[in-house]
Amino acid sequence: MSHLLDRLNFFQSKRLDTFSNGHGETTVENRDWEDVYRNRWRHDKIVRSTHGVNCTGSCSWKIYVKSGIVTWETQQTDYPRTRPDMPNHEPRGCQRGASYSWYLYSANRVKTPLIRGKMLRAYRKLRQTMSATAAWKALQDDPILRASYVKTRGKGGFVRATWEEANEIIGAANAYTAKTYGPDRVFGFSPIPAMSMVSYAAGARYLSLLGGTCLSFYDWYCDLPPASPMTWGEQTDVPESADWYNAGYLLIWGSNVPQTRTPDAHFYTEVRYKGTKSAVISPDYSEAAKFGDIWLNPKAGTDSALSMAMGHVILREFHLDRQAPYFEEYTRKYSDFPMLVKIEEKDGQLIPGRLLRADDLQGKLGQKNNPEWKTVAWDEKSKSLVVPNGTIGFRWGEDGEWNLEERAKGKDTELMMSFVQEEDRDDVVGVDFPYFGGQATKHFVKCEHPDVMTKNVPVKRIKSGKKEILVATVFDLFCANYGLDRGLGGDWVTDDYSKDIPYTPAWAEKITGVSADKIETVAREFALNAEKTEGRSMVILGAGLNHWYHMDMNYRGIINMLVMCGCIGKSGGGWSHYVGQEKLRPQTGWIPLAFATDWCRPPRHMNGTSAFYAHTDQWRYEQLDVNEILSPTAPEGDWDASLIDYNIRAERMGWLPSAPQLKTNPLEVGKAAKKAGKPVADYVAEQLKAGKLEMSCEDPDAPENWPRNLFVWRSNLLGASGKGHEYFIKHLLGTDHGVMGKDLGEEGGRMPKEAKWHEEAPKGKLDLLVTIDFRMSTTAVYSDIVLPTASWYEKDDMNTSDMHPFIHPLQAAVDPAYESRTDWEIFKGIAKSVSEIAPEILDVETDVVQLPLQHDSPMEVAQDRVRDWKKGECDLIPGKTAPKYIEVERDFSQIYAKYTSVGPLLDKLGNGGKGIGWDTKVEVQHLRDLNGVVLEDGVSKGMPKLDTAIDAAEMILMLAPETNGEVAVKAWNALSEATGREHAHLAETKEDEKIRFRDIAAQPRKIISSPTWSGIESEHVSYNAGYTNVHELIPWRTLTGRQQLYQDHEWMLAFGEGFCAYRPPVDMKTIEGDFNTEEGQPHVVLNFITPHQKWGIHSTYSDNLHMLTLNRGGPVVWISEVDAKTAGLVDNDWVEAYNANGALTARVVVSQRMKQGTIYMYHAQEKIVNTPGSEKTGIRGGIHNSVTRVTVKPTHMIGGYAQQSYGFNYYGTVGSNRDEFVIVRKMKKIDWLDTPVTSTEAAE
Amino acid sequence: MHMPLKAISALLSYPTEELQAAKAELIEALGQGDLLTADLINDLSVLINEIATSDIYDLQETYVGLFDRSRSLSLNLFEHVHGDSRDRGPAMVDLVENYRAAGFEPASTELPDHIPVLLEFLAMRPIDEAREVLADAAHILEVLRTRLTRRESIYAPAFAALLHISGEVADQAIVAELLAVKEDDPNDLEALDEVWEESEVTFAPDPNAGCPQVRDMLAQMDTPRNAPPETAPAAAE
Repeated sequence: MSHLLDRLNFFQSKRLDTFSNGHGETTVENRDWEDVYRNRWRHDKIVRSTHGVNCTGSCSWKIYVKSGIVTWETQQTDYPRTRPDMPNHEPRGCQRGASYSWYLYSANRVKTPLIRGKMLRAYRKLRQTMSATAAWKALQDDPILRASYVKTRGKGGFVRATWEEANEIIGAANAYTAKTYGPDRVFGFSPIPAMSMVSYAAGARYLSLLGGTCLSFYDWYCDLPPASPMTWGEQTDVPESADWYNAGYLLIWGSNVPQTRTPDAHFYTEVRYKGTKSAVISPDYSEAAKFGDIWLNPKAGTDSALSMAMGHVILREFHLDRQAPYFEEYTRKYSDFPMLVKIEEKDGQLIPGRLLRADDLQGKLGQKNNPEWKTVAWDEKSKSLVVPNGTIGFRWGEDGEWNLEERAKGKDTELMMSFVQEEDRDDVVGVDFPYFGGQATKHFVKCEHPDVMTKNVPVKRIKSGKKEILVATVFDLFCANYGLDRGLGGDWVTDDYSKDIPYTPAWAEKITGVSADKIETVAREFALNAEKTEGRSMVILGAGLNHWYHMDMNYRGIINMLVMCGCIGKSGGGWSHYVGQEKLRPQTGWIPLAFATDWCRPPRHMNGTSAFYAHTDQWRYEQLDVNEILSPTAPEGDWDASLIDYNIRAERMGWLPSAPQLKTNPLEVGKAAKKAGKPVADYVAEQLKAGKLEMSCEDPDAPENWPRNLFVWRSNLLGASGKGHEYFIKHLLGTDHGVMGKDLGEEGGRMPKEAKWHEEAPKGKLDLLVTIDFRMSTTAVYSDIVLPTASWYEKDDMNTSDMHPFIHPLQAAVDPAYESRTDWEIFKGIAKSVSEIAPEILDVETDVVQLPLQHDSPMEVAQDRVRDWKKGECDLIPGKTAPKYIEVERDFSQIYAKYTSVGPLLDKLGNGGKGIGWDTKVEVQHLRDLNGVVLEDGVSKGMPKLDTAIDAAEMILMLAPETNGEVAVKAWNALSEATGREHAHLAETKEDEKIRFRDIAAQPRKIISSPTWSGIESEHVSYNAGYTNVHELIPWRTLTGRQQLYQDHEWMLAFGEGFCAYRPPVDMKTIEGDFNTEEGQPHVVLNFITPHQKWGIHSTYSDNLHMLTLNRGGPVVWISEVDAKTAGLVDNDWVEAYNANGALTARVVVSQRMKQGTIYMYHAQEKIVNTPGSEKTGIRGGIHNSVTRVTVKPTHMIGGYAQQSYGFNYYGTVGSNRDEFVIVRKMKKIDWLDTPVTSTEAAE
Repeated sequence: MHMPLKAISALLSYPTEELQAAKAELIEALGQGDLLTADLINDLSVLINEIATSDIYDLQETYVGLFDRSRSLSLNLFEHVHGDSRDRGPAMVDLVENYRAAGFEPASTELPDHIPVLLEFLAMRPIDEAREVLADAAHILEVLRTRLTRRESIYAPAFAALLHISGEVADQAIVAELLAVKEDDPNDLEALDEVWEESEVTFAPDPNAGCPQVRDMLAQMDTPRNAPPETAPAAAE
């Protein structure tokens, strides 16, 4: 057959072309079917935004919008490229972020302003005949009316309100509170500015203009590791995640990178292909454990025993038996190892005392400026005592020698680290070190030895006039502390790893359960890699370690390892603490916006932990006695007091802030000072001394000292971070609670000495709780007014992270849904309302603001000795022996005008941060040009406008060195004055770069190097903390100017933490009591741990149905198979976990992953989701914080002492919660407590 | 305009004093156009009366508690259709484009799938179209009616009326399914368990599915390649 007729002569077949060797073909057939897909994926626009959850992953997302409705989101992939040989950052984003668009249209969204019906009814009725403030006053003055809404908090009963009405009530309440009690009784709580900094700034700016109090969060969340300020004078500064890729050895310690740092985990995966070894330390077989070449699973809470043993091995093998040259040089230049410590006498024994200062020596070694703040070392070159450059005494009052050059008085030096050689030492003496291992409770291994150990230390005897001073180097004491025999013999030191002497691997094995050979291996490999690579050994550590009462020990044990191996400030090395990503990169540009320092200074800041400890009355239940934590080697002192008393002393001496500040309304104090014709500081000092003015902290339960109004925004205080949840509910809110324990009055126990005790504890201190949220969170459910805010695809804002170096926008892809408004607009509305209402009762007033002794200011060298003016140990000198008292004028009618414009103080006083300042006239002018100027007459006429959130963002970007190269150069030059070294080269190449909001909308932008941070942004290295200290010789902001491994403050020594030690978890005593009815019943007592989960970030996402479905649909706890057996539980049983603080209900997950003795409840599962009633308390089962109560630590209260000085979110008490135990048992009957509607509480 | 639909739209909106005062108007509207039976008008009059005579704060608290705070009673139609899925956004886009095609621009802060919004729109459309749209949603209307009845809510008759207008009898199978799965009222543990129960995961073909090849293959895989050593401890456990 010819096939002639089969073939077309005049047409071509539909097949036009083939490709892939004929496996594919292109066709022209009908393609209508594709429209289905095109319609499915159609959109009008794509907008870049991200998710401002407490996770500041700062991942770039594309938000697709069609007809004004968000349809879905996908990951962006256009980050600026990293340099060759580095993996890209993208794609960033996790399963949680990918399910976010759900929230926008969720049934859980707050649609309109909501007000408690009973309150609104009463207010409206009163308002018919009265002014707004008079109506609010009448409502507060009538105990029955007030109780009508206070007691129904958490029980539903909301009605919708208009914005005008909600704003009016808030404005009236704020004005009334300012007038009646003082503006510092208006509190605001919002966490992590980095996640949406303009939204944070909105509320903080309003409060600061009003004179209200901003509460810190980082310390309260217990994400602040106080060990960081102690060691480095730095809040926390860490390597970006890309720097993991530069590491040669990665120790993952109590962090769960793949689960909680999902978008960054790829760097961890990738670097292992390069041959980097990784050890994972985690009690449970976590997701991260799977990545480890070796997995160490210590008993939870014993990490410092493990790190001390590793330090023991490293010191022995790399510093003593052999001296690794790199380690020696590094520690001589960058640590306090060579500094001299006075060996002091106590009861005939010798103990390590204060660091030797120039002031201690005759002639003060020629130092006139701050000799008491200049530490001393022995110089090998000159064979004499020298005052090395860089100590904090050089930072204030003089210029040019605050640097880490190896010089003293202009001469080169080589500081001596040890006097162990016979020719170098004058003597060997026995020095006492405390040992705490024997204090462990029955849930931990007690490794009993005497509580004081005398160890041999080589010393020099220094003659100074008639005195002889005994001194040792920090390094020699440090080695003795680690139990290392230096060939000097004596007790409690050894050169044998297998001896049970504190800090040997064999000793640590007993306590941690990790075998000694594993401890040795990891320590050796970690150090060896650091030696070979000059510091590329890194530790990634997480909340797992920081949330213990003795978190400082956990952290310092690890920091010691890093410093002795020269890893800090080295690319690919260092300390990667990723707990609560706090990194607000354009911080110095943001502060004037957030705290209104462009209009008035200073703002009122308060450390959150101490505030909540006092005002939720958790101190009334304190079971931790100071004697349980005091060191047997404590110097003489009045240590016999309660923890609240320590906090009061700290406030009195100006160490910690106070809120409220004085029992008397500060506006009245201002008036009285004027009347007396005295400067406010003098007047207050005189009145305090005379006892006519009282500090509020001394009587937190007096009605004058209650916080009256509380704003919560960007936060779920009651659902996520409220440690001692039930105490919040009982005392601060005054509604149904689940507290089962008794307070000290009923229970007996050490009563406070300084805090006034009221037999009857107040219930319901707050007049008004306002929550601003886009979803009906647990906090919202308990509030009086709930304001609907814009979600993350509905507002313009900015977001930065410590995980990558880019600054990223949030953008309004669509208008805020329903009646919601952005935080910027909400506080603008409140500002307007208060400006209109306040003149009813307030004129232009003189406020008196109390300011603690600030870190990074000359006040940080205020108190080299502890002296309490109230005990007559010194005179009361504001700013020196007590807080500063500063006059601030407040025109309450102008709050709105000031809120919406840039104020004049930037022109007059400039801007700055971390101890340096610079002029900002040029930037303010640029802002005028960019934002436009205010044309209306009034205080703000001619100033740059701040109408919109974008205007506010531009203010941040313009003023911050990180986003404005011109400012960066100015800032580096300002720093050069102090250090006497040239630093501007770090930013000069970017001097003309000015990042604007629209730039970051186009693409996330890499920021510019700035002296605010200790790392640099460069084309050559990844961001790494401490980099400029090591490479630019900028001192750490500590007493010695170096990484400080010895802490010599009197309180540090008293509590036994001069050097790092193993301290077992403390006994919270919450298991014993009448409420414990388990005798003879199947149950188990477990250590209660709250890690971060896979299906939520804090409480956001954990009520998202996608995430709930992937998890188990409600609250769960995890326990081991062994513990389950003991308590007669099987997987998925409903259990109740309780103790004196309260109870929670959840399903149990029984897993081999878990280590025996612990129970996990993932952080912040919401009360509003599927939580049945508790049999114990009879009310709805609580959240994870229902079984916690916060306990404060005196060493965190230290102030006025170099790096241990107060800074907002920098230093202060922290809310630890992991030492807690709970009783776990099976629930007998499940009661959902959901009928009838009116009587249900929390979850409707 | 179909006044009964307009009236129900108003009744399902947030109660205000204006709504309370409109009692007579509302009752009159229900009777127009023969869309409702006398019984239904009677039931709805109870609701109207209740609204007119109750304390406004109690009414508002009840409304917020029911419709703003309970997911299972959400007045957003697509909450019940699409839940949290990504289809929800595109579905709303389609709806808003329908409104626009008919010449109406949404002018409220409510989302387009809010039932009172939809009802007002339908009130202005030919009755057949209104019926068709309501009939499509009949199973959801039925679910809401059932849940409100269970809670002895005065709002239940509104949904009964809408069902009547649609002329559709909701598919009981779908309704039952929705009622079983979607209820977020944790009345009893069993219901909650069913909502959240994890289904069993099988990582391989099911040997009991009746396919002999699979069965043989799996059996072969289960047989160890090397016989266990003779010294192996006895399998006591």
